[in-house]
Amino acid sequence: MRRFEILNLKSPNRAPLKVEGFLFAEDQKGPSIAIVGAMSGDNVNQLYVASHLVEYLRQKEEEGKISGKILVIPAVNTYALNMGEKFWPLDKTDINMMFPGYKEGETTQRIAAVLFEALQGYDYGIILEGRRDQGMCLPYVKIIQSGYEDLDAAKEFGMRFIHYRPYSPIETVMLQYNWQLWGTKAMSVVFGKNGTIDPNTSDEVQGALVRFMAKRGILGLAVFDGYESNIIEPEHINILKASCAGIFESAVACGTHIYKGETLGRITDALSGKKIEKIVAPCDGVITCQYSHPLIFQNSIAFRIASTD
Amino acid sequence: MGIIEEVFAIDLPVGEQFRIQRCRYTPIGGKTEKRISIVSGIHGDELEGQYVCFLLGQWLRANPDKIKATIDIYPAINSLGIDSITRSVPFYDVDLNRIFPGSKNDFLPAQIADGVVNAMKGSEIAIDIHSSNVFLREIPQVRIAKSQEAVLVPLANKLNIDFVWVHDAVTVLESTFAHAMNTLGTKTLVVEMGVGMRLGQAYGHQLLDGILHLMASEGFLAIEPPKIRFPIQSHVGEVAYLNATSPGLFVPAIEHCQMIEEGSVVGHIVDPLSGKTLDEIIAPIGGILFTLRAYPIVYEGSLVGRIFGENR
Repeated sequence: MRRFEILNLKSPNRAPLKVEGFLFAEDQKGPSIAIVGAMSGDNVNQLYVASHLVEYLRQKEEEGKISGKILVIPAVNTYALNMGEKFWPLDKTDINMMFPGYKEGETTQRIAAVLFEALQGYDYGIILEGRRDQGMCLPYVKIIQSGYEDLDAAKEFGMRFIHYRPYSPIETVMLQYNWQLWGTKAMSVVFGKNGTIDPNTSDEVQGALVRFMAKRGILGLAVFDGYESNIIEPEHINILKASCAGIFESAVACGTHIYKGETLGRITDALSGKKIEKIVAPCDGVITCQYSHPLIFQNSIAFRIASTD
Repeated sequence: MGIIEEVFAIDLPVGEQFRIQRCRYTPIGGKTEKRISIVSGIHGDELEGQYVCFLLGQWLRANPDKIKATIDIYPAINSLGIDSITRSVPFYDVDLNRIFPGSKNDFLPAQIADGVVNAMKGSEIAIDIHSSNVFLREIPQVRIAKSQEAVLVPLANKLNIDFVWVHDAVTVLESTFAHAMNTLGTKTLVVEMGVGMRLGQAYGHQLLDGILHLMASEGFLAIEPPKIRFPIQSHVGEVAYLNATSPGLFVPAIEHCQMIEEGSVVGHIVDPLSGKTLDEIIAPIGGILFTLRAYPIVYEGSLVGRIFGENR
């Protein structure tokens, strides 16, 4: 393993921002992979998985089990992680909205440019992503239809769901889209609840990453098969909104099979304590995502249900 | 007298509503389909537009007989953000101007965007007033995507601004309010002026004159259009970007909105700890310094200024 500095950016008053990479088996000729962890300061679960993966791979390298180059970057926006911020602490820009980066541009464009350069030339690229809303979800693979995506590779994670959809305009400045355009088979694994660590979810994601690397000949390991992934397109997701605002209590966990008519959660008036809404499943399916903050806004999405109905 | 209307409301968790309000002015004794929307506060830290909304409302209250069409004023789209010095939508930390046209079936910021679009859909013209952010001070300008140049530049020239900047199309900007509205057929101009979290009264009055001129010449007001200046057009020159090469404290050497010669000093980056001057920012071209950094802390890459120079 080689631990090295990808970026060292001086700050006016803080210690420099250092983005570090961990490189394994750099001389091996098998397929290569780069894995990017926390790009924002609330991606704590992503940091946790990436750093555990570094330790796991260190052991596997000692055992001679790695047959392709692996780069892991556990954290990009360490400045934000270290102060409870989400985005770049000075100008609040999102590093994952700056790709492919620009070396002569603004600070986060420069950070993205250096990072993007370090990520070139890998066969596979995995981005460990948190959610962009106040939700938590069953871990899933997100792959956007850029024209360069590799859906077959995404199935090798053995995750229950692959969310496969067209890209939105803002995704054209994100890492996955640009990484795909530059020739790496890039995809994201989205999981967790921002700002927290869930050991079970983390274990599932790490298992999926190991499975992917084993199936793609990067790790010389025998692994159990995962799920035969369901490809979920937007029309398969049933959105269940809260019609009232208040205190939200969920009665189900992500991943739960639910049946039409089942109570999924309740909303209580935050001041009077009166129970004002019972959220009921409109169909059979699997809870893929749910609102994760105890206070809910009117019309917020309380649950997303993957359904074959 | 304008009528205050609520165009979008969502209950917040604890005894409050998020709401978007507008003040609607209509012609005395007559109905009209012709409508213009004046918008500000999509970013909660940009307040210049609030002042323009006030000035326009004050003028309309004093001149109800001059109103020939519906004039809607929306001073505070991101009302939660404005009242808490927060640029993005609080709680979600999402830039509202990167989520348009929005959706009813998405998270709150997208629902707000959808509500905004539905409220303004059908307007003939919209003017979306932004300050710069807290980091940069800007002269009054309109920014237009190249694809909209033919339709919007003639309109922008009526706004009494200093600069019309036509830029290349950028895919990410397809998520803005202006793009969403232009796509729906509402001619939408994006004004940038001043600096975030502050109020520049002179710019406010300048833009008010422009809005009155535009509304008079487009048939919304029955007045003689006020005299206005003709803006500099970006196609006659080039924009030079000045980025910090060192982290530190940026100390400008000249005032904003000055003519500057090539090779002259725009400012210095200094280190308060060592007392050293780390860098001298030199103008790469001559022209007008139309952007100047207002917030002094810089990292490498931070934008400290922009100069527009005419082609020789």
